[in-house]
Amino acid sequence: MEAYLLAIGIICAIYVLLSLGLTVQYGLTGLINFGHVGFFAIGAYASALLSLQGVPLVLCFAAAAVLAAVAAWPVGLVALRLRDDYFAIVTLGFSETVRLTLASEAWLTNGVQGIPGIPRIMAGGGMVPQLVVFGLLVAACVAAALAYRRIARSPFGRVIEAIRDNEEAVTALGKDPARFKIQVLALGAGLAGIAGAFYAHYVTYLVPDQFIPLVTFQVWMAVIMGGVGRVSGAVAGAVLLMLFLEGSRFVRDIAPGLISEVDMASLRIGVVGLALILFTLFRPQGLMGDYTRR
Amino acid sequence: MLYVQLAANGVVYGLVIGLAALAITLVFGIARFPNAAAGDTMTLGAYVALGAHQASGSLLLGGLAAIGGAAGASLLAWALVFRPLAKRSVVALLVASIGVAFVLRAGMGLVWGHQQQVFQVPLAFPILVGELRVNPMDLWLGGVALAALAVAFGVLHLTSIGRAMRAVADDPDLARISGVRPGRVMAAMWLLAGGLSAVAGIMLAVKTVVSPEIGWEVLLPAFTAAILGGIGSPLGAVVAGLLLGVAQEVSTPLVGFTYKIALSFVVMLAVLLLRPRGLFGRVEAVR
Repeated sequence: MEAYLLAIGIICAIYVLLSLGLTVQYGLTGLINFGHVGFFAIGAYASALLSLQGVPLVLCFAAAAVLAAVAAWPVGLVALRLRDDYFAIVTLGFSETVRLTLASEAWLTNGVQGIPGIPRIMAGGGMVPQLVVFGLLVAACVAAALAYRRIARSPFGRVIEAIRDNEEAVTALGKDPARFKIQVLALGAGLAGIAGAFYAHYVTYLVPDQFIPLVTFQVWMAVIMGGVGRVSGAVAGAVLLMLFLEGSRFVRDIAPGLISEVDMASLRIGVVGLALILFTLFRPQGLMGDYTRR
Repeated sequence: MLYVQLAANGVVYGLVIGLAALAITLVFGIARFPNAAAGDTMTLGAYVALGAHQASGSLLLGGLAAIGGAAGASLLAWALVFRPLAKRSVVALLVASIGVAFVLRAGMGLVWGHQQQVFQVPLAFPILVGELRVNPMDLWLGGVALAALAVAFGVLHLTSIGRAMRAVADDPDLARISGVRPGRVMAAMWLLAGGLSAVAGIMLAVKTVVSPEIGWEVLLPAFTAAILGGIGSPLGAVVAGLLLGVAQEVSTPLVGFTYKIALSFVVMLAVLLLRPRGLFGRVEAVR
């Protein structure tokens, strides 16, 4: 039972990291990133492939963050000159292109067969390695949350919030919104990359199908449910998402035969979709939302 | 010769993309957001057609049922979700349309399962045109697509509701003070977009297979075609869809099967950077 809870905690913390990345991008700056899973995938594959070459894990994690952030740079350069809705489509296209590339370039990624046997962060059985992973993840989440708070209160944070609220005014003050937006995009992508590295070394097996757009929208669901632009919202949303994802698995386990795995997969997609619709319609500020703003 | 054959094959796929892009560009031009549920509306059309075809044995009945079903679902999505959000930001509409897409896909997965299914259509020998092999079914599908396009352009250019649609697309405020009723225009537009998506879905299903993801996989090429054609330009969407379909088929021997979708991503980026108003679009700020 403890092992099960710990496993849930680990996946949950990975989603918290992803949600924090999106919170910086969407909540703070208003970037509609529909390609979050692409950066997550880049981080996961980069760290997995490097570690299999014998590179120390610390460097693998660093490479995951840097590569994901670097991948965000051209996407940002291209897309940030466009209107919001075009940016969303372009990022969605980006993540699908990443997934297709992972599936096609078998010489590097072993294609659809995937990469098995990715080393764990700490080898050995029992609870200790799991606890270590969880501890590291929590530390990463806390660090990311603290960094978020710091950024939000820094001059940089005030500029990007101002960009979200009124881009023309920021331009008129002589700031270049595009530069700030690219930095924010890269920052969020780097966080997604680290989350990807944790994911790769935890599940130890990667296939391109783990990185479908549904993952992006689960993170969106978490951010929207929790409350846009708040650390507490990102955490609460990720926990709720996890409760729902694991709860649905739990229902299937205690009542096998009640519902098949494929039907459950459909139901999960349906609930994600319904949550996106209902929260947008009736509670756009989310559960932890800031009522003092629009 | 191989390339000519591929280009000919690409025409049917191009018509699928063109019809989907037409549905997207209508919504984009009139309701002013990129509708991510367009792909899954196509899938719905494909499944309804499949079900009605199996039940009745008639492709025509199947097609009509599909058009009715998808147009109805599209209207329902507008009434329940998109209309209440009309005054909100484009993000709200975009996220909600993803939600609608997921709900549709979940429903279809629950009702029809995830197994790939195929249309049981009679096989026929290809007709030889010169050295070109043409599948008779492709000719039928092409005819259906052209008929659907004729209806769509007829509605847009020959009827009063079509004129009202174009007026709203041009300038919503001006249309309103000229006495155009926005509710009626929206309802007609969503019905038309749903019906067009259904035709695209049926064509794709007859040409390939039916599974819950087929529509979603066409979404990106369809967005690309809508942007390439110029947002809000119905003719542009169809022409761009054809171009893209042919380009995807012709590029297959060069870049491989899986990169077909990536090609539309590259085209989309190129268009947005070099000519954001597309081939036929109005000058409009997209940057």
